[in-house]
Amino acid sequence: MSTASAGAEGAQPIIEVRRVAKSFGGVKALRGVDFTLYGGEVHALLGENGAGKSTLMNILSGVHAADEGELLIDGTPVRFTDPREAQAAGIATIYQELDLVPSLDVTANLFLGHEITRNGLLDNAAMRAEARRRLAVIDVDIDVDRRVDNLSIGHRQIVAIVKALSFASRVLIMDEPTAALTASEVESLFGIVRSLRAKGVAIIYISHRLEEVPFVADRVTVLRDGLVAGETAPHASQSTLVRLLVGRPLDELYPRRSTGFGRPLLTLRHASFRLERERSGWQTPCDISLTVRAGEIVGLAGIMGSGRTELLMALFGSGLPGRWEGVVEIDGQATKLQSIAVARRSGIAFVTDDRRGNGLMIRMSVGRNLVMSIIRHVTPLFLVSPAREAMAAERAFSQFDIRPHDATIAVGALSGGNQQKVVLAKEVVGEPHLLLLDEPTRGIDVGAKGEIYARLRDLANAGLGVLVASSEMPELIGLCDKIVVLREGRTVAEFPGGIDEHSVLAAITAKEIAHV
Amino acid sequence: MSESTGQPAAPPAVAKRRQRIDLLAVAVRFQSLIGLALVSVGGIIFSPVRHGQILFLAPDNIANIIRAISETGIIAVGMTFVIITAGIDLSVGALLSLSSVMTATMMVSVGWGLLPTLLTVMLAGAAFGAAQGLISTRFRLEPFIVTLAGLQVARGLALVVSGNQYINISYGEGLGLAPPIFAVLGERLFDNTVPVATLVFVAFAVVGTIVLNTTRFGRYVFAVGGNERAARLSGVPVSLIKVSVYAITGLASATAGIVHAGQFNFGSANDGTGYELTAIAAVVIGGTSLFGGSGSMIGTVAGAVMLGALANLLQLNNINAALQLLATGAIIVLAAVLQSLVRRHEGGPR
Repeated sequence: MSTASAGAEGAQPIIEVRRVAKSFGGVKALRGVDFTLYGGEVHALLGENGAGKSTLMNILSGVHAADEGELLIDGTPVRFTDPREAQAAGIATIYQELDLVPSLDVTANLFLGHEITRNGLLDNAAMRAEARRRLAVIDVDIDVDRRVDNLSIGHRQIVAIVKALSFASRVLIMDEPTAALTASEVESLFGIVRSLRAKGVAIIYISHRLEEVPFVADRVTVLRDGLVAGETAPHASQSTLVRLLVGRPLDELYPRRSTGFGRPLLTLRHASFRLERERSGWQTPCDISLTVRAGEIVGLAGIMGSGRTELLMALFGSGLPGRWEGVVEIDGQATKLQSIAVARRSGIAFVTDDRRGNGLMIRMSVGRNLVMSIIRHVTPLFLVSPAREAMAAERAFSQFDIRPHDATIAVGALSGGNQQKVVLAKEVVGEPHLLLLDEPTRGIDVGAKGEIYARLRDLANAGLGVLVASSEMPELIGLCDKIVVLREGRTVAEFPGGIDEHSVLAAITAKEIAHV
Repeated sequence: MSESTGQPAAPPAVAKRRQRIDLLAVAVRFQSLIGLALVSVGGIIFSPVRHGQILFLAPDNIANIIRAISETGIIAVGMTFVIITAGIDLSVGALLSLSSVMTATMMVSVGWGLLPTLLTVMLAGAAFGAAQGLISTRFRLEPFIVTLAGLQVARGLALVVSGNQYINISYGEGLGLAPPIFAVLGERLFDNTVPVATLVFVAFAVVGTIVLNTTRFGRYVFAVGGNERAARLSGVPVSLIKVSVYAITGLASATAGIVHAGQFNFGSANDGTGYELTAIAAVVIGGTSLFGGSGSMIGTVAGAVMLGALANLLQLNNINAALQLLATGAIIVLAAVLQSLVRRHEGGPR
């Protein structure tokens, strides 16, 4: 699969990183990392969230300066203090949140800040022609006059790549480029990556999708807890990669499963959600069959866009308007679940995947956030009862070990892991029967993950039912008693927890795998 | 419960930085009170002196200051609710004028009694505000646009009702005369010291403080402004809260309009121009964020008093109105910059 790496003996690496360390506050994000990149190779950088991938990338692209260690470009030590210096050295970065202006057309975006002018006026004809030429170089056909917000996510990604390459063409850093792409878009992206590699561009490919690695990478470096956990060939087995990523036997990170489960709390049989109005990009739950019993943690697996989030939102009544058809039972009672109010009354709580966007009032105090969903309880007779408020907050602090133990500081000042604990605690404090979780450990470090897994298991052991959607396969396999696979909005398979990753992956991607 | 014992203390540099930020945050929290104190001290120092008395501190002068700010102050109390939900209400000045016209017309031309008139005008104001809130939430329009339109509508209605004439209020018994008790709004109580208009403002501020800080509704207001989506997911009736806060500004504007009519003994379709900006300025100087989610009623009150005291001081020294505007502008910018500094640090390093 991989063409021979250009990193032959004696060749000069474009980028060489030596023992680089970087701390934020008291947190050591990188603790002495070595990394090399040669011209004409695709070097995959893997790591769990919080492993240091983003920090390393930010040091290479001039966003942060390293505290310790050296950065060499073509063998010469450099120290970037500004992203523009990195660009001048030929290093371009494509972030997950593409830095395009949605309301401008493709041409305007490609030349933003580098406009071609004639006699002081914009030379639109010249820019358009040049834009077409640049897109043609990588064999893509995108209308350069279209507004970026009218393009598919995949095409936006390509525009971002072309834009990045137009002012820095030696090294391309791609951060999770396939996170939001469809299978066919992923394929064409891989094509572009390969053709860039053939032109001698060096590419750092950051991903957490292990299954992609063999298709694009020539070399793989795995980061863990701010250190290089190992370097392997792209064909290394998934279990080798997982072991490097997680760094410990799975049973240490994940709590022991329980065996006995209680009555069914949530039962869906051939249940479909009919939208009032269809909307593109919304994978409506269709023909869903699954059961969550008391004490059970059920995982929802599926690729991006398979309808995991949509299913949870439809159950909580917080998605697009519509109604359930088929059998939907809470605690054995048929129910409609049309609104957030109904869901809450039925004892359902929902922990969103976007804690800063949907979950927290980021500038308000931890205490106020914690009681947000039980505000009726802490305001008897419509007046706030400070005593009840303090009691509820205290319970949440001790149950989830939120640090620092101070209900008055703004939630935005907490670390990501502690913010996530607050999001969880704020739902659990209302004593729900069924907890819906979307990506409960996104963007938090391994230690906090372990704590959250332990708390979830405690809650389940106390009789709660948990339905958790995640894109992290090891998490689902390690944590859940049962894994339900979604594909294109449908439940297509069910596995017991602890099963091997291959079987689940096969079910998740059954159709897509044929493409790639 | 096993807290902080095993937790390493923050490194000294971090601790020091934290401390500085905390000081800054405290300064911002009480910025309007600090500003008020500074203006008061400045007032004492720079006040003209006549017959050995500091004019700025003369009882008559202080009564003037707190009387002058009572109308915009009442409005600012309502505006604080709206701005905490990350909204804005531009219609308040026009609604004040419409309410003053309605009050005068109903008592003088229509011949209604005092109580029915006041209740009707206040209800109408609240309904006007609620309608703006409904339009804004139902059709997902920016409150800026909706209340800008509301401003025009209220002003237009006031012109229509009044025929672009001053509606003078005369007092007495009988048709076409207002009950004499209404004139109390222009007087002072307690040995001719405390203006009645100011008492209305104080009542509004006290109720507003209690509602904002100790009721479920107050919590919801903060939640909607802090993160609307999170509030909705938490079961907060977001649209109802938004409609309510505009009803509150409507009610406040109508009350201010009644006070206006009582103080000046007429209703006019041309008064209240620019009051919305004075009220917003008081709220912002008081430390309430235009982004929503944080703010304080006490800050708003102090901000309103401070603006009034500053204007008074400049007038006492015969400094012209243009310089007054410059000073007010500079203070608003200063207040906003302070808030922005704190916000940047509170957001954390991400």
